[in-house]
Amino acid sequence: MMMLQHGSTQLLCLTASSGVPLFTRGASKQLPFSVIGSLNGVHMFGAGHGVVLSSCETEGGGKVVWRVFQDSMMLIVVSGGGQDGAGDSKEDEVRLQRLLENVWSCMVLVLGQDELTNVRNVERLKRDLRSCFSLIDQLLEDRQEGILGNLTHCADSLLPPNPTLLQEALDGFTQAADSEFGCLIVHGRIAAATEKWWRLAPPEVVLLSALIRSLSASGSASCDYPVFLPQGSPTVAHRLLRFQLLPGADVCVLCGPTPSLHSAESGMVGRFWTPLVETLRDCLAVGEHSLPRSVSLRPDVLALLLINRETRRSVSCVRTSTNRPLGDPPLPSKARCWEILKLFYIFSTTRYFNQEETLCVSPEERAQRANTDDFVLGFSHQPLQCYLVTEECKSYGLQTPQHQLFLLAPLSVPTFALRTVATQTLSDIVGATGF
Amino acid sequence: MATANARKCIDTNVCGGKTEEDGVEMHGCDCESTSSFNSSDYSDDLEPEWLDDIQKNGELFYLELSEGEEEAALANANQGVATNHVRFSEKEAEILTEQNKNQRCASRTKGEPTLKRLARILRRKRRPSQRKPGAKDGGKENSALSSAPASILKNQPGQRQAVTVQQLKEVCVYLNPKRLAGSSAPLCEGGGLLEALLGVVHRASWSRGLGDPPEVRQEDRLTVHGLIPNSPAIKCGQILIGDVLVAVDDVDVSSENIERVLSCIPGPTQVRLLLETLAPADDSRAEHTSSVRKTKASPPVSQLVRLLWGEDTAELQMSIAHVPHIVMFLSLKLDSASPQEEEEILYQYPASEASGQLKGVRGIFLTLCDMLENVTGGRILSSSLLLGKQLVHVGYWKESNNLLVIGLPAERVPLLCLQTVVGDVVRTLKVMYGSLDRAFCQADHAPRLDHFFCLFFQQLIQPSRLRDGSSAPPTDVSGTLFLDGLPAVRWLTLPPEIKMEVDTVLSDFESSDFGEMSEDFFGLRRLYVILGSCLFYKSYLIANHLPKEDLLDVCLYCQHYCLLPLASEQRVGQLVIWREVFPQQRASTNNPGYSQPQGRHFLLIVGLRHFMQCVLLEAGGCASAALGSPGPDCVYVDQVKATLLQLEVLQAGVEERLNAPPAPCLSCADWFLPAARDRLDSLASSSPVFSKLAGAVRGSSGGSRGRSLFGERARRSSPQRSQSDSGSEGQMDAGTSLAPGLSPHSTPDSGRKLGGRRDSLGSGGSEGSGGSGGLFKIPRMKHPNPFFLGTLKKTLTERETEEMYNTMKLTSGAENTLFHYVVMESVQGIFIAPTHREEAQLSGSIHPQLIRNFHHCCLSIRAAFQQSLPARGRRAADRPQGWGLGPVKEHGVLFQCKPENWTDQRKPAPTMTYWVIGRMLLEPVPQEFYVCFHDSVAEVPVEMAFRLSFGLAL
Repeated sequence: MMMLQHGSTQLLCLTASSGVPLFTRGASKQLPFSVIGSLNGVHMFGAGHGVVLSSCETEGGGKVVWRVFQDSMMLIVVSGGGQDGAGDSKEDEVRLQRLLENVWSCMVLVLGQDELTNVRNVERLKRDLRSCFSLIDQLLEDRQEGILGNLTHCADSLLPPNPTLLQEALDGFTQAADSEFGCLIVHGRIAAATEKWWRLAPPEVVLLSALIRSLSASGSASCDYPVFLPQGSPTVAHRLLRFQLLPGADVCVLCGPTPSLHSAESGMVGRFWTPLVETLRDCLAVGEHSLPRSVSLRPDVLALLLINRETRRSVSCVRTSTNRPLGDPPLPSKARCWEILKLFYIFSTTRYFNQEETLCVSPEERAQRANTDDFVLGFSHQPLQCYLVTEECKSYGLQTPQHQLFLLAPLSVPTFALRTVATQTLSDIVGATGF
Repeated sequence: MATANARKCIDTNVCGGKTEEDGVEMHGCDCESTSSFNSSDYSDDLEPEWLDDIQKNGELFYLELSEGEEEAALANANQGVATNHVRFSEKEAEILTEQNKNQRCASRTKGEPTLKRLARILRRKRRPSQRKPGAKDGGKENSALSSAPASILKNQPGQRQAVTVQQLKEVCVYLNPKRLAGSSAPLCEGGGLLEALLGVVHRASWSRGLGDPPEVRQEDRLTVHGLIPNSPAIKCGQILIGDVLVAVDDVDVSSENIERVLSCIPGPTQVRLLLETLAPADDSRAEHTSSVRKTKASPPVSQLVRLLWGEDTAELQMSIAHVPHIVMFLSLKLDSASPQEEEEILYQYPASEASGQLKGVRGIFLTLCDMLENVTGGRILSSSLLLGKQLVHVGYWKESNNLLVIGLPAERVPLLCLQTVVGDVVRTLKVMYGSLDRAFCQADHAPRLDHFFCLFFQQLIQPSRLRDGSSAPPTDVSGTLFLDGLPAVRWLTLPPEIKMEVDTVLSDFESSDFGEMSEDFFGLRRLYVILGSCLFYKSYLIANHLPKEDLLDVCLYCQHYCLLPLASEQRVGQLVIWREVFPQQRASTNNPGYSQPQGRHFLLIVGLRHFMQCVLLEAGGCASAALGSPGPDCVYVDQVKATLLQLEVLQAGVEERLNAPPAPCLSCADWFLPAARDRLDSLASSSPVFSKLAGAVRGSSGGSRGRSLFGERARRSSPQRSQSDSGSEGQMDAGTSLAPGLSPHSTPDSGRKLGGRRDSLGSGGSEGSGGSGGLFKIPRMKHPNPFFLGTLKKTLTERETEEMYNTMKLTSGAENTLFHYVVMESVQGIFIAPTHREEAQLSGSIHPQLIRNFHHCCLSIRAAFQQSLPARGRRAADRPQGWGLGPVKEHGVLFQCKPENWTDQRKPAPTMTYWVIGRMLLEPVPQEFYVCFHDSVAEVPVEMAFRLSFGLAL
């Protein structure tokens, strides 16, 4: 007898001061209002007594995480947990914390901070918030395979076979559009971006990518969308212009009042991008592997996630293996590989590798996150690498000053060889692409 | 009253008898007479010392330190011999009268009955630190004393010749009026609060008789005539006999108003006393007094022992008052008809400000517990809250209609192990009281629970403070959390012949075949059946005849009361614990076809020196049923004591095992950093055997080889694993036959000559001398083929060869790279780890850090194992999506460490990398391994290490 199904996640949003429910998303069956009221009530009660409730865990991996943003908006996420208590509780909490941050940023992105912090008309706010739903749902479901940015806060990138051509075209196009912020997105990942684009805060880059993905999923050839940058300009809106170059390849610029969508579409897109159609097709062919064919991965790498810690970019791929020797245990499916990769990333970063992105978030968030990462601080020596052998596959993670690499290998690879595989993979990719 | 008077009597007796002698001579006399006394002597005509400590419900917790402890305490207090002695002397007088009556009686036969009664009265009052005087030290102290006469007894005639100057001094003491109410001792008639609360004895009538200095003669001056043992006054160590109490917290006091002033102290607080003291005029005296103060401040017994003695815990409690922590037992069933304040709180501890804040939000805990079960379908386990800047994890345990809530600071207990900690507390409480309801819902349990949770929080929040005053190494919280959290007891493997003897002695005891206990002897049913017992030596389990679950129950109790470290660090004079317990396995099993006899169970723990035996007894069943709450039975206690005395013969053998070089061999992390090499080189040059050894290494070092990570490919065989290493080189020459000798692990004889410490150092020696240029370069050498033993035997004597094969080394390679390990065997509920002594032998600056880190990492590894446990047994296909990482079999982390305080700016600090790896095996028996070894080990040996550890466990 329970109100929330296993494995489902429900997001509740209320005003922090009065506790008026603004919206709930996720899960087929909405929680009863009494429960929503109690969940909000306990947090408010605690705050009144100088105690800030932050999370809660139940048997079977159920989780509740509370978070108040800007003293105005309360976000609560309730997750039903796995079937039989197999959930990795700590891991789940990090995922939910990250989800709340993303949902808040996404609300700011669409509506701007002013509207969210100075609520004058609750009914109107409720109506306005509907425009965020598609993006929020996308964050909640987290269905899109191969997109890890929501979790890592590193921009999912795709390494094109000939980056310089694309970069030049993009720079030219952005300049012509009277802007400094431009990016080319292929298969939902950033194939090229202007320097200024990379200077945006990593969560913003990730969020803009998510927005562009959801916009391009709508099927329109181009659009003009007002956005607030959660950290860069939370109160002043910019225009995000998006043009579809080929199915799966979009180019965007962030700009001021000019140029108009029409003039940009007619005047500039053709001029800059028509000569590059073949290059773009090559780029599309890279597909979900994110890595150009020039990079030869060892055959015993099932999946990998490589993060550049300085640029906050990541590449990731899962390989569908074809020639498996008979008698070997079955390899995990592609979807499962993505899931394990995510879980292993959270596992390693919560326990061993510190996430230095705390440098670029607000002090308020930093305080909150410092408290969740208490375990890492307990080590007297610096963890460099770690591995995990489970029933399905082997996972290996390593951290250098510049990179973090997480990879999955089949069980047939001997454990002692993992380290060599990992270090070689890292040097191969970095050597071939300069990532 | 009675106590104080009695004490006074003795004081006067002793003093009165020797008024002509000065204090010093009196001491000498006392020491001589006590020196023959032995704490473990147990004569029939004297009742057991613990008899009066038995509580109404039959429980007993009696702990007494041995002379060794007192000596150690004396040794710690470098200069304060005289002071301590003076303090002891007061006690000696008492103890002398109390226990060592034989000699006294020889001179005063008439006094015997009185003395016996007196002794009993005296015993009621606890005198912790001074139960046994430092008898053996008598002579030494005596000489020390005669050179520096005690200044504390200022009103002795001999002292007054010295020119004295009056001085005022301020002393802060901690007073707790609540303790008065709780303690059994009523207010002393004569002394009132001054005596009862502060511990200062003032007798108005004495003032004249003893003759204060003429210029200060006043009837109502509060001269300190004596100090009550164990009182705040004596504990602070700065109030001396002869001082005059002038003011309390700036209020002038005299004998007229002192009672009124003291009665105004509402609760536990610190008060400032202003005392007029007679400072000796000459410099040497002044110096002496200062040293007195200094040494007196350090407690002779550790806080832990004080806590166990049930002394005032408020001070310890106050020192962690700012750390938020709480335990509450809340009722979920609220009678809304009669809403009373805090009605739902059935129990709560402590009452500090930070915990008050947590208590204030108990509504959150109740609501969440109630609501979340319906929302997510599982009971609530934990929540995290921010209290100001501090993160607090709260663990829940719901039982019937009540909820146990434990809040702990996150910096002490990570969320990963919160559940284990809460689970262990709950189990301990259940073992002690049967159920949580029974533990918390009886009003008279409250003080005992306070004590229980005081220990619990102190151990978690300030373990170092508990242990200060003892010689124990600084404890690391992660280590405690990890090792105590394992469902296992630390085991010490013994040589088979000793093990057999120990087992035989235990079995003899357990058979209950001793005269008085046999049914035939009295024609009565026996009182208890001995279900089994287990034996600890210095915190290691050395024999166990209890089923696993019972063993864990017993061990949880011992862990909670810190009995194991106590027995290892301090010599326990005598420990007797008796209480009813509710073993969890016996309470819950309902196996079809067999039911446990419905009896009551009692736990008897007897400790003697380093041995401690825990016996589980059953009443009912085939023994006679227990009625009421029986106290410990002397016969059983004596039998256990006899067993322990019998076992003491084997102590030498066990000690030898503890002193033996570690098997498997261990290395110290510091040896792998170049900074340590210099030290080793100097060591090598200082020891002839060593330098020879090192020379041999240098001589044979042909080339060097960079040893990196997993990249090491060259296979080197060590004698131990050579059987499996069929591909080893077949060629041999003179150099190769020497080769195994280069590693001290293979040449135990050279190591043994140097003693255990050198033996283990040896590996570093060879390692260090081998490394010439690069970080880790070792001589490349060929190794003997195990199948050509013939040549080996030519060069090595037979004994050496044999020993070479007996030494266990888990890692391969010429040098040992194993730093630390923990092997847990969950079927028997034991784990094996290097002994404390082995750890201590590998002293170094980095190694302790490494072990701390190892334990911290193990917490994480074990948490990963635990999380995946419930999922096991399901097939992968059945698993729903989003089910986590899945069952974890093995998990390893590579760490890098740098020496601290690296000052050399030009060169980067050298680094050393090492692995911490944990593996869980389910077949053939469930086991968990945690090992920590240097990165240089080749890959296959990692597997070897795991496989070889099968040979480790029993």
